[in-house]
Amino acid sequence: MNRVSIAIALLLTASACANRDNYVLLPDRGGQSGTLSVKAKEGGHQIKLEQPYQTARSTSGGYEQGSTNAQDVQRRYGAALDASPPEPSRFVLYFLEGSDELTPASKRDLEAILAEIKARPVPDIVVVGHTDRVGSVADNDRLALRRAESFRKRLVQQGIADDTIQTAGRGEREPLVNTADEVAEPRNRRIEILVR
Amino acid sequence: MDRTRRHRNILSVIASGACCLAAIGAAAVFAAEPAPVTGNAWEAQIKVSRGVVSIDRGGQQYPGVVGARLKEKDVIQTGGNGSVGIMFNDNSTLSLGPDAEVVLQRYAYDSTTYMGAFDAYIKRGTVSVQAGNIAKQSPGAMRMMTPKAELTGTAKNYVVSVGE
Repeated sequence: MNRVSIAIALLLTASACANRDNYVLLPDRGGQSGTLSVKAKEGGHQIKLEQPYQTARSTSGGYEQGSTNAQDVQRRYGAALDASPPEPSRFVLYFLEGSDELTPASKRDLEAILAEIKARPVPDIVVVGHTDRVGSVADNDRLALRRAESFRKRLVQQGIADDTIQTAGRGEREPLVNTADEVAEPRNRRIEILVR
Repeated sequence: MDRTRRHRNILSVIASGACCLAAIGAAAVFAAEPAPVTGNAWEAQIKVSRGVVSIDRGGQQYPGVVGARLKEKDVIQTGGNGSVGIMFNDNSTLSLGPDAEVVLQRYAYDSTTYMGAFDAYIKRGTVSVQAGNIAKQSPGAMRMMTPKAELTGTAKNYVVSVGE
């Protein structure tokens, strides 16, 4: 960027300061909001939004804080909010110990999953394998991925396009039930299937 | 990033009415952008599309229809009656209202560890953000940029409106 364009930029932006940014922190489904840090690129101004429906508006001298409500957010930003993708549907299936063979009960859940896939206009499917804490982390990463891959094959056999399925193995990182290492726990030997 | 592209970025930042030195700040961010590194064939998919929605990929325009897959560096634009909802691989979503433009500057995601990086540049318009696995694993790894500011945090849902 040369000096001339910097000069032009300064000249033009100085006359166009009416435009503002607005930021609104929203609650999640549980009513919590987390925090949102807003850092200005120039001037070093920084603020943190910490409550649901807290707002910030950029000004020439920093930020103007305020608050709003669900109704007002819908009125002002409804078009963007209404275009949010539908929530993914989540299914959990369980495995026999040390294997990629589903438990009999979980085999029966397959129909519900196929129905959900067919109900979506452009379904994509994420299959995440998990293990219990028996065995090494590396072995469990492999077993977790094997579980996810075996389910991918099953979906493909049912006519689901292979390139709409993504698999991952989370190993023993995300147990449903916390246990000490080397404890066999059937509820952790599972795959989670997201239909999005 | 080549010279013409950078010049265009500067001009549109100016056009969007950024105050003071924001134009220079934005140019610096673009210039510092590293080369894309990704193993995935696609990073996101359009799940909802209304009105005029287009994807700019390396200067080529594609229709932003339901089912279209998106990659790092894609630019998503909506027209005056347009809106679009995008689902990313880590379950993050962005949905854009009318007259919006968003650059998917950087997207990297490890589905085993949930480590990754997600930078989007909201040039104009309103965007509703839902943070997914990348931000859950490391809140600083998902950054929403505007011509004026950078947003990060543990927030799951928020709205960013640029140039209101």
